[in-house]
Amino acid sequence: MKELIQRLEQEALREIRAAAGGEMLEAARTKYLGRKGLLTEAFKKIGEASAEERPALGSLINEVKGRLGAALDERTRAASGGEEKAEKIDITLPGAPFRRGRIHPITKTVRDISDCFVSLGFMVVEGPEIETEHYNFEALNIPLEHPSRDAFDTFYLNSRSGTQLLRSHTSPVQARFMEKHKPPFAIIVPGRVFRPDATDATHSFMFHQVEGLVVGDRVTFADLKGVLAIFARQMFGVQTRMRFRPSFFPFTEPSAEVDISCFACARQKHLEGRRCSICGGKGWLEILGAGMVNPKVFKGVGYDPEKVTGFAFGMGVERIAMLKYGISDIRLFCENDIRFLRQF
Amino acid sequence: MRVSYNWLKEYVDIRLAPEKLAELLTMSGLTVESLQPLGADHIFEIEVTSNRPDWLSVIGIAREVAAICGSRLKLPAIVPVRSQDAKGGARIIVDDRKLCPRYTGRVIRNVKIGESPHWLKAKLEAMGLRPVNNAVDITNFCLFETGEPMHVFDLDKVAGGTIIVRRAKKGEKIFTIDGVERALDDPALVIADREKPIAIAGVMGGADTEVTASTKNILLEAAYFDPVSVRRTSRKLGISTESSYRFERKVDLDSIASSSDRATALIAELCGGAAGELFDVGEKARPEKTAHLRYERLNSLLGLHIEPPKAAAILRSLGLETKGSSRDAITAKIPSFRYDLDAETDLIEEISRIYGYDRIPQTIPVVVEQPIRVPSSIVIGDKIRDILAGFGLDEIMTYSLLGRRSLEAAGVGTGDAVEIKNPLSNEQEVMRQTLIPGMLNAVRWNINRKNKDLKLFELGKVYIKRHDGGFNEHISLSIGLAGQASAGWLEGARQESFFDVKGIAESLLAELGISDVSFRPAQSPFLSAGAAASLESEGKTIGILGQVKASVLSEFDIKEKVYVLELSADELFSRARLEKTFSEIPRYPSVVRDISLIADAAAHNEDLLSAVRAAGSPLLKEAQLIDRYIGSQIPDGKVSLTYRIEYQDPTRTLEDKDITPVHARILQELERRFGAKLR
Repeated sequence: MKELIQRLEQEALREIRAAAGGEMLEAARTKYLGRKGLLTEAFKKIGEASAEERPALGSLINEVKGRLGAALDERTRAASGGEEKAEKIDITLPGAPFRRGRIHPITKTVRDISDCFVSLGFMVVEGPEIETEHYNFEALNIPLEHPSRDAFDTFYLNSRSGTQLLRSHTSPVQARFMEKHKPPFAIIVPGRVFRPDATDATHSFMFHQVEGLVVGDRVTFADLKGVLAIFARQMFGVQTRMRFRPSFFPFTEPSAEVDISCFACARQKHLEGRRCSICGGKGWLEILGAGMVNPKVFKGVGYDPEKVTGFAFGMGVERIAMLKYGISDIRLFCENDIRFLRQF
Repeated sequence: MRVSYNWLKEYVDIRLAPEKLAELLTMSGLTVESLQPLGADHIFEIEVTSNRPDWLSVIGIAREVAAICGSRLKLPAIVPVRSQDAKGGARIIVDDRKLCPRYTGRVIRNVKIGESPHWLKAKLEAMGLRPVNNAVDITNFCLFETGEPMHVFDLDKVAGGTIIVRRAKKGEKIFTIDGVERALDDPALVIADREKPIAIAGVMGGADTEVTASTKNILLEAAYFDPVSVRRTSRKLGISTESSYRFERKVDLDSIASSSDRATALIAELCGGAAGELFDVGEKARPEKTAHLRYERLNSLLGLHIEPPKAAAILRSLGLETKGSSRDAITAKIPSFRYDLDAETDLIEEISRIYGYDRIPQTIPVVVEQPIRVPSSIVIGDKIRDILAGFGLDEIMTYSLLGRRSLEAAGVGTGDAVEIKNPLSNEQEVMRQTLIPGMLNAVRWNINRKNKDLKLFELGKVYIKRHDGGFNEHISLSIGLAGQASAGWLEGARQESFFDVKGIAESLLAELGISDVSFRPAQSPFLSAGAAASLESEGKTIGILGQVKASVLSEFDIKEKVYVLELSADELFSRARLEKTFSEIPRYPSVVRDISLIADAAAHNEDLLSAVRAAGSPLLKEAQLIDRYIGSQIPDGKVSLTYRIEYQDPTRTLEDKDITPVHARILQELERRFGAKLR
């Protein structure tokens, strides 16, 4: 009986090794291990052996079953590999579509700007778009009928309750915030602003700004330069240089216009005398206005300018997005052509 | 402001090339917009900020150059005019001293009006001005040189030889020198003779009294007009001139007489004639102004250290006279042309500007601890954007202002819309109270450009006029779907449907942790009656969704089906629960059983499901519709529904005998309430 089983195993292993493919292996599995297979039959015959032999035979059969099973499995695995080669798929067919939608480039730019300042410890604050003359102008030291208002042409609303307007800059939030909070603080204010400008490639009657304001007991112009330098490098690359040009804003003094070195010039060394299309050959790009908060603004909100100082800055989001992405026409932002939107 | 390099060099020593000078000017606050060669000269185009009217003259810029370069200012010598004709022969009456605090006039008789000499014409041409005749050219030359606009009248055409400075009377008109007849009214300040206005004060002269080749006797006007009045008149009439531009920004009241002297001397030189006395009416000089500067304040505001002598030297270089000076502070007398200087900060600005912003170091302020860095509206708003982008929707951004037509086309009307008083076009008449018109405009834009398969969303403000006349701003969310929901060779194409927009809404709400929501049939001015739903939460309607009405689509000229949603984002912000808490994963497996029914086609899934849930409680863990079929296999008016029900007991493994009675109870309940039968 024992010899019979051992012979059976040898035969089976030979057969398994010789099998040409999955079908023959399956046949071998049925022949030896199936419900009516030879090993199963052998098992049934254990009863014919003597009582002493039976346990040893039983475990032998089980061992053989195990070895054959393993051999079959291994060969089946190997064989099926061969079969897949036969049923080759065209892996050049496109994958199933998983298209992610895109975030609007203005949202993206506002996020990039906000993230930078939030990481520096700034708090994000928002304010209303429908404003009063007080917050849009007077609180910011912009007198009525003064040429300094020329830069702030404004949409007015038909209103029964006093003069209401659409804010022409995000700066009104400065005064609103200061009226309700005590220094020290560092805030940025992203938001939508409106000016009745005729629309062309670089002007729109609606655009976005991010305003910043830091007030404390010893905030300096040097701090303003330091903070904006970090911002410029984070936003436009570590090579970015910055320059501050004296300027005038009614709500800051001293005031500055801030330029960054043109990243496009730096990138395209091959310009060879041709004018850089981004900066017009000047080498500098104007990106924001800034300055030390005018003491008149502090007095207006009840701060003592002898006790606190601060700086403020403001930038146009569209301009930064246009520079960053190389967008040539501001109108693209609100046309919402998906061929535009899906590039970001 | 245009400035000629050569002209500038007449008043100040410049040893710098024009390019280098342009850079220095830019870095001290006179931004040079462009620098162009013009023959042997160079023209600087300088952006002058509204606080510096003194820079609107060649002398003013020369003074700045002297301060920046440390070189000497060489101003033209002004010799007071010796009157040769004391009789004068004109009268000057200033009616409105408020709008005209100082008026001077000088009669010059027997002048010869003709072409200007070459040097004068060349200067004006360099400034971009067309030469007219010697007398007029001299006033323009002086305007550029000194910043003081002046005017010459043909005295013989001034009725009664009398100049009256007064407000215009209602209905008065004037032909200005540009040949246009202009209607004047009350607030406008005019120069009039006995009969009529002969000039719009500070803005433009009249054609009738213009100096021409035949003019014999002239009256030279130099005055100070109220900036606000000039600004109003210039805006109202829509004329901005070199003159009005300067008066609006304030001319130097104190130097009016010397400017007049300068012009008179040039007229004597180029036109001949005999000059009379100067009529000088009103304020001769403004009170002296001083400002005080503490060195400590200077350095602590800028964050650097400037030595006191250096600071004082900068002030002096700008024409400020330093008076009292101590170790800690200095008092400076402000020159009359510097209206912008008043306070300590003004002096600090001057010092920092000339010292150089680039020499101020860079430091980092001490950061303040602010526990809430980003308001939840921004955090959740960004989360909503990311979720929707994750679902394949592209974010759009539309204008907050739109035409009434767009709102009417969407059927929402303009009753509660905030109206713009001064729109530039009919696309800016009102503020949007809904994002839907903007969404439909975006859909149309894309479809017209053959951009197919649109999945769009916008998160933005809407503006509502309240009953009390006030205005509210809310944040709203819109979604728009058109074209194919899915495409590709694997599964084939499927058009967008109501259930796509609903699915997006459900998934978004789930992502935001908002669970108490239901959809109800609803009515909307822009949605199809049969395919419109409102989104209800805690007894409040927070949004609406559905298929856009055919009539609205045709108003927007869209020929495809469009599905939209508009939700109050403010409501989402207040309901969102973004914090997560963990609940134990069940130890024992759940058992899933399907139930297939035939029910009335009119039966609402939501009603059946809630009956299933109620009857299956407490073992029922979840129930959902997995198949719905209407067709030949089942009777008319009926629908086949298959629900998959998951049962679970957290304390043990469920057996058949636990589930069978519950499952039977569900079936009974569906049969009793809806007449549904097992299929």
